[in-house]
Amino acid sequence: MMRHANYGLNAKRMTVFDWLNALFIICLMLTMIIPFLNVISLSLSSGVASMRPDIILFPKEFSLEGYRTIWNSLDLWRPFLNSTIVTVFGTLLHVLLSSLAGYVLIHPRVPGKRLMITFILITMMIPQEAVLIPLYVVNKDFHLINTLTVLVLSGLVSGFSILLMRNFFMSIPYEISESAKIDGAGDFWIFAAIYMRLATAGLATVTLFEFVGRWNMFTAPLIFINDSSKYTLQVALKAMIIDSSTSSSNYLITTNVKMAGIMIAILPLIVIYPFVQRFFMKGIMLGATKE
Amino acid sequence: MKRKSGILMATLLAGSLLVTACSSSGGSDTGKAAEGGADTGKQPEMKLRILSANVGGKTPDEMKQFEAEIKRLTGIDVTIEKPASDYDQKVLTVLGSGEKYDLIELSDLGKLDQFVGQGAVTDLSDFVKGSSTLSDPKVIPTAEWDQLKDKDGKIHAVFTKFQGGTMPIVRKDWLDKLHLQEPKTLDEYYQVLKAFKEQDPDGNGKNDTYGLSTSGLYDIQGFMSAAGLKYRYVMKDGKRTIPYASDEAIPMYEWFAKLVKEGIMDPNFVTNDTGKMRNLFLTDRVGMVTYWDAWVGMFNNLRKEQDPNTTFQAEAIASAAGPDGNILMRRGDPDFWIVPQNAPHVEAAEKFLEFWNSKDGITLGSLGIKDVDYTESGGQYTLTAEGKEHNMDHGVPFWYNENVKSPFDKLPGVEAAQELVKQHATLELALPGWPDAEKIVQNYALKAMSGEMPAADAVKKMREELKSANLIDE
Amino acid sequence: MRAIRKYGVLYAMMLPVVIYFIIYGYYPLARGLQISFQDYKLMGERPYIGFANYAAVWHDPFFWKALGNTVVIGGGILVFGFVAPLVIALSLNEVMTAWFKKTAQMLLYIPHLLSWVVIGGMWIFLLSPDTGIVNLVLHKVAGIEPIHFLAESTWARWVMILVSTWKDMGYSCILFLAAIVSINPSLYEAARMDGATRWQLVRFVTLPQLKGTMKVIILLNTLGVLRIFDQVFVLRNPSTSSHVDVLMMYTFQKGIMEMQVGVGAAASFFVLVFTLILTLAVRTLTRFDEVE
Repeated sequence: MMRHANYGLNAKRMTVFDWLNALFIICLMLTMIIPFLNVISLSLSSGVASMRPDIILFPKEFSLEGYRTIWNSLDLWRPFLNSTIVTVFGTLLHVLLSSLAGYVLIHPRVPGKRLMITFILITMMIPQEAVLIPLYVVNKDFHLINTLTVLVLSGLVSGFSILLMRNFFMSIPYEISESAKIDGAGDFWIFAAIYMRLATAGLATVTLFEFVGRWNMFTAPLIFINDSSKYTLQVALKAMIIDSSTSSSNYLITTNVKMAGIMIAILPLIVIYPFVQRFFMKGIMLGATKE
Repeated sequence: MKRKSGILMATLLAGSLLVTACSSSGGSDTGKAAEGGADTGKQPEMKLRILSANVGGKTPDEMKQFEAEIKRLTGIDVTIEKPASDYDQKVLTVLGSGEKYDLIELSDLGKLDQFVGQGAVTDLSDFVKGSSTLSDPKVIPTAEWDQLKDKDGKIHAVFTKFQGGTMPIVRKDWLDKLHLQEPKTLDEYYQVLKAFKEQDPDGNGKNDTYGLSTSGLYDIQGFMSAAGLKYRYVMKDGKRTIPYASDEAIPMYEWFAKLVKEGIMDPNFVTNDTGKMRNLFLTDRVGMVTYWDAWVGMFNNLRKEQDPNTTFQAEAIASAAGPDGNILMRRGDPDFWIVPQNAPHVEAAEKFLEFWNSKDGITLGSLGIKDVDYTESGGQYTLTAEGKEHNMDHGVPFWYNENVKSPFDKLPGVEAAQELVKQHATLELALPGWPDAEKIVQNYALKAMSGEMPAADAVKKMREELKSANLIDE
Repeated sequence: MRAIRKYGVLYAMMLPVVIYFIIYGYYPLARGLQISFQDYKLMGERPYIGFANYAAVWHDPFFWKALGNTVVIGGGILVFGFVAPLVIALSLNEVMTAWFKKTAQMLLYIPHLLSWVVIGGMWIFLLSPDTGIVNLVLHKVAGIEPIHFLAESTWARWVMILVSTWKDMGYSCILFLAAIVSINPSLYEAARMDGATRWQLVRFVTLPQLKGTMKVIILLNTLGVLRIFDQVFVLRNPSTSSHVDVLMMYTFQKGIMEMQVGVGAAASFFVLVFTLILTLAVRTLTRFDEVE
């Protein structure tokens, strides 16, 4: 059942404000959709037509050349599978571990809480540059270079998700857990059975962000994977589309192929989004508080 | 309740362990395989681990075929790793982390200097002198080796291919249509570009054509040549100077500002990347750009394939002549192999370098893999569909070796362009600190060219900043 | 030790995260710190040179310029990147029609999915002085001469701030919306019964309830503000570089392009310290640690 936070208003009267509001949102939507239309249209245009320096919103000289070139040159199944494994496992573990940590941080009197938060915050400030080489060495010592595991472990937990989950958990009244404690429930049970069930919007949000982030992940697979059979989809596509125009080469990839590559890469995300969106629209079922 | 969540946790953990187990048994730390070869002291292992940016197959599958072909032709077991992008970052990370490669491809002399300075590359001077293939002037002209020599005359790298140069490329068909000759002096250039702008050479009735387009300062050497100004550093009596920051450059920047003011120069020149610049040229929006010799042919070929009846004709012309008649052109930085200091298989690497510069290697690097990119029967070569797509470029579109003739003609216009390169093009000198210097030079040069700042002020400011950052001596 | 008995389960729940961060976070960080004190050659000897790398960065005028640019552009992104999504989330929340709301949400999020290379290329075109739609509209509507948005330093900064906000507002907007949806409806019921108007409901119920989320978003964004890179890398050009190149570009150039790994590491640690200070300030100002 769909519930909005609509303050219980039932009348469908649209005020002036409502119309202006809608207009504002429509304008915004239009700007957002331009890049997407552009990419789709270019991907469905013919080679030379796609090189024209215009922004097009409809395919020029409709052609499936771009997709066909990629389909013929690249065995997409392996990279797609690699990406899927890494993303699914990675996201599940990520959300789980981040939620666990987030839950711990909502208790007002846990000793060392300030320290834990600082500990987590610092990890979010770590500069990529300085740690790239040490990270490579760490993974090398664990024999993880060239495995999919290294991609799952990369960013297994992030301070962002921990703090976000903490925030969503905090919107659940603390009395619930206190009354459950009185009934004899342990912390882990309260976490799993109560908090995880109630913070659906939060879970969905973090899951979506992590899924997207992991699917689009590029630097880690680039640096830690040398074997092309372990390439993720993003890397495999980029490998094919690399434009060596910085030297006197004979090789050119036309724009429509590049755009087709981009479309193939983000298609799963676009498909998944509507499914996840349900959770942003639901209200919290707070029947439990009414006791 | 407790049990259910416990089971869920356990399943997830087990699942992730499974993933670990599956992938680590399949994947291997290829670094391990390459170690220990040179230590045995017996028969040197014929194995190579290569890191390359341009060489090899275009897709992972083709790369495997490429490696197999090398094995067939040389007996060496080769692994070629070609990062999808961000080559510099990858090279730095893997080397800094202790990974061992036998050969690494680079295309920046500045980087070579850095590597040599850090003691990270092997001295190949003796090897090259002793190699009958590489020291043969017909294979690689003796003078060319100077590009790869350090200040002590030592050689630390071997060419992967022949790198051409850039020069102004003009629409010959438009010149003919407007009854113009190829421009030779700066004034003639101006007239031609102005005509392109004003006389609607593509005949579409719209005032949408520009005379000239660039991608920032890439590449205005063809015009700066008119004042005798070479890009990057020039040593004058042991002092570092940057001609583009000298007073002689002021009238040049003013010339460009005039082009911009009169609408002859594409106003997007500041934000264009080279791809955009190329596309403008290809789609009749601009009459002249500066680009690679090889691209003269690519431009012509692309348009012919789209429309066999097109009148499009791209032609390379020499830079504007300087006051003493001198013509300055840019020779691109060479593409080369280095052998890292810690390479485990030096003998195999040396064998590969000789192979790469002889017939079999050149054929592989250009046409591609036998029976995949091309077929051969009785000395006749035919390209397959895939071979055509790869346009005879697997890292070696052009080469030095005179003994190896290409079975196919060069694309129209390329031969003439390469002649110009041979005659006039010289390397650019990049001393340490050039990246910072380049920023300053380009910053003010672009401001002067777009008319934002008077050229005299721009040049003065340029020199001040360069001096205070100790990037020039004069 | 009574604490451990009492909170034992909680500490155990935190443990996997702590272990992970130590191995993949703090250990590499320590090694990185070590590198910053070395003359880090790619191969061979790497002698310790004390604070030489740090001194080199401290005395480099390019570093300080980059810091200035980062503060201006990053600060702008922080402010706009907070206000805009908030306004839009509130705006969207007022929409009654479910399908419209859903579609809008989805479309707003799309630019976030695309890479900066794509978005940057697109905006460079849209802002072009001769063919870009922005200048065409400005000319038709207000007769303004074409502005070289990305070639002029001041404009370029604004472009980076605004385009950055535009690209990522779907992301923050979702966070706000998810938080709004989690607000207890009975609060609204009570206020409505007291005769509150829609605007008053927003002001006295929604906004206060969103305080927690706002704090989190500000803090999270602050952590990243000194590390912006992609948008600048794509939208910059040599003409605007002096006003636009940020700290991460400096570390990238030093560390990777010039292969001075030690110097790059030192510069990165400067960024870390600056961020630490900034975060401390934000954390105190917003009273982040308090659980309401």
